[in-house]
Amino acid sequence: MQQRRIFGGTRRFFFGAMLAAFALVSIGPAVQAEDDPIRIGFGMALTGALAGAGKAALISIEIWRDDINAAGGLLGRPVELVFYDDQTNPAKVPGIYTKLINIDRVDLIVSGYGSATITPAIPIAMNYDMVFMSLFGLASNEEFGYDRYFQILPAGPEPRIEWSRGFFEVAMRADPKPTTVALVGADAEFPRNALIGARANAEAAGLEIVYDETYPPTTVDFSPVIRKIQSVNPDVVYVASYPPDSAGIVRSVTELGLEAKLFGGGMVGVQFASLMEALGPQLNGIVNYDFWVPEPTLNFPGINAFLEKYQAIAEDAGVDPLGYYLPPFAYANMQILAEAVEATGGLDQDQIADYIRSNEFETVVGDVSFGANGEWAKSRMLMVQYQGIEDQSLEQFTEAGTRVVLYPEDWQSGKLIAPYSDAK
Amino acid sequence: MSHRTFFFVVLGLVLVSLGLTKAIENEYYFFAGYVILQYIVLATAWNILGGFTGYVNFGSAGFFAAGAYTTVAVVKWVDLPLLALIPLSGIVCGLIGLATGYLTLRLRGVYFAIATLALAIVLETIIANWEHVGGAAGAFVIRPKEVMFFDSYVEFLFWTMSLLAAIAVFAARYIQHSRFGRGLAAIRDDEGVAESMGVPTLKLKLMSTTISGALMGLAGAPFVYYVTYIDPPSAFNLEYAVNAVAMPMIGGPTSWLGPVIGAVLLGGAQQIATVTISSELNLLIVGIMLVVFVIVAPDGIVGLVRRLFSKDPRA
Repeated sequence: MQQRRIFGGTRRFFFGAMLAAFALVSIGPAVQAEDDPIRIGFGMALTGALAGAGKAALISIEIWRDDINAAGGLLGRPVELVFYDDQTNPAKVPGIYTKLINIDRVDLIVSGYGSATITPAIPIAMNYDMVFMSLFGLASNEEFGYDRYFQILPAGPEPRIEWSRGFFEVAMRADPKPTTVALVGADAEFPRNALIGARANAEAAGLEIVYDETYPPTTVDFSPVIRKIQSVNPDVVYVASYPPDSAGIVRSVTELGLEAKLFGGGMVGVQFASLMEALGPQLNGIVNYDFWVPEPTLNFPGINAFLEKYQAIAEDAGVDPLGYYLPPFAYANMQILAEAVEATGGLDQDQIADYIRSNEFETVVGDVSFGANGEWAKSRMLMVQYQGIEDQSLEQFTEAGTRVVLYPEDWQSGKLIAPYSDAK
Repeated sequence: MSHRTFFFVVLGLVLVSLGLTKAIENEYYFFAGYVILQYIVLATAWNILGGFTGYVNFGSAGFFAAGAYTTVAVVKWVDLPLLALIPLSGIVCGLIGLATGYLTLRLRGVYFAIATLALAIVLETIIANWEHVGGAAGAFVIRPKEVMFFDSYVEFLFWTMSLLAAIAVFAARYIQHSRFGRGLAAIRDDEGVAESMGVPTLKLKLMSTTISGALMGLAGAPFVYYVTYIDPPSAFNLEYAVNAVAMPMIGGPTSWLGPVIGAVLLGGAQQIATVTISSELNLLIVGIMLVVFVIVAPDGIVGLVRRLFSKDPRA
């Protein structure tokens, strides 16, 4: 290639380029009038790693919008959603939320799905003193301590501990009492946090930790991991895993036949319709955390009506057809915000925050009240056991009794079958 | 234009950006502008090695993230102001660049490109297992509440990035017109011939990887203050590697101006796409533009304009 002289008009291009830059970023400020709709803004993962859950959350929020508009709107004004795809990319989030607030002039903001994209929005909400409803941010507010942040995942003020508290409570109820525990999880964000909590709970319960290791998140074959656990013969096995590994571990355990009193704990994914369908009877006996299951003790007002609407849309939209895990909470988040707006009679962020902080809300996921750090005042992490699953049909999971609630006692709907091998 | 005049032009633009932080109320423009400026730095940095020297680096995201994580590592240890952290990121990434140079410059063409890609993966694995910077779980960095002279921290970030862009562009232009730059061009055109003509190719290549790496580190340094939360997948995002290559290719890789034009065009288009098309599809824009330019204008916009305006029919 030949080295050429720089073209003479370089300067003109430089200024042209700068002008173009300013032209590009100054597109379209919106105008707003008094009786316009109330606009609620958010970024949501509609593409990228968390798109499946993000789309389900969006559907739930849209159902809420349609419900409230059918009932006459919010403060008598219709509700409009303004949302952008954050591509599951935290770096997109600050731009999206400043655009929502400064250019789209939304009246209220809520979060997208997942800690990674919730956290970058918190400083923006703080900067504009806006109430920020958060959908499944795990300890996102811990460092910010923002007093207008409210989080709907029912893990309570100490999510790490609460995530596995129920599991160990249930384990210690077994007869004879277990004495040893194995802890295993993926070397990734959530499993690491969950294992920290599990360690604390195991020690508090007086269990001896005989195995405590992580595996790389890319692991496909889990039989070496399970064999190693079998070699130390623990009474209880606590697993913290992401969906692909959860499936792999359950399959390995079924093939190799684990002899433990209790198995499960913090496996993400076995609550999703896709995995429940794929694993079917292999799930029997597993004790695992959950947020909501169709048990009679959790039949909250409005939940069935919501799920009916959701399930009608879900299949065509290609998202989780049952929608027990995340969607009701996305809906409940909006219910809380709406109730606070109605009760304070306006859009004053200060009053709305005060109201949410100091009141209990009746939602489709039960009664919710928030504690000091914006988490649920009291944890309601469920421990459920998969029981009596006969085949791989999805319908059986819509019936009560396939995932019985063992903990907390207030919501208990069945009895533990132990040891694990008996329930298989 | 002499370097002196150009220096004052660039300085003038930095002052203009400072004025903008006072003149414009709407913060969104600073968030969007920050990203575009960040890409000017990243694309210019890539171009020093990729465009000037002809060594294609697919590991830009690794350098960018190393810059960002240097900030995190230092802040978690001692609380320094951002303006002190940026040079540190530059030094660390310059050293990584130098090391990469030593390890890989025996490799040419596609093998060098593969090695840089591998470097990014190695760095990501190290970061994901380093507890001090949050490991796989990610780390929070809280923005200072107030910053001197500016009304908000975002305005400060915008101005800081415009300063870094000015430094990068000035450096690139200086290099292009220097003896060093002509040496790099000789390596790009034919490394064997250059060596036999007395160009100290190893030394120049090492200088090139070091400067390129250091500038990428500068681009990454303020990132964590922009998002406030950093985890390996977002810092090592493919988007940075793709854009760092695509922007100079579209703008014109043989001139310092190319990456600037490419970054403004592509970066601007992506910012608009994020809030209009609003989907990951906006990376498709990059892909399509890259294919179009590689076929229609292999020397980018700068090359295309040069060809249209050149009196020399051969060019």
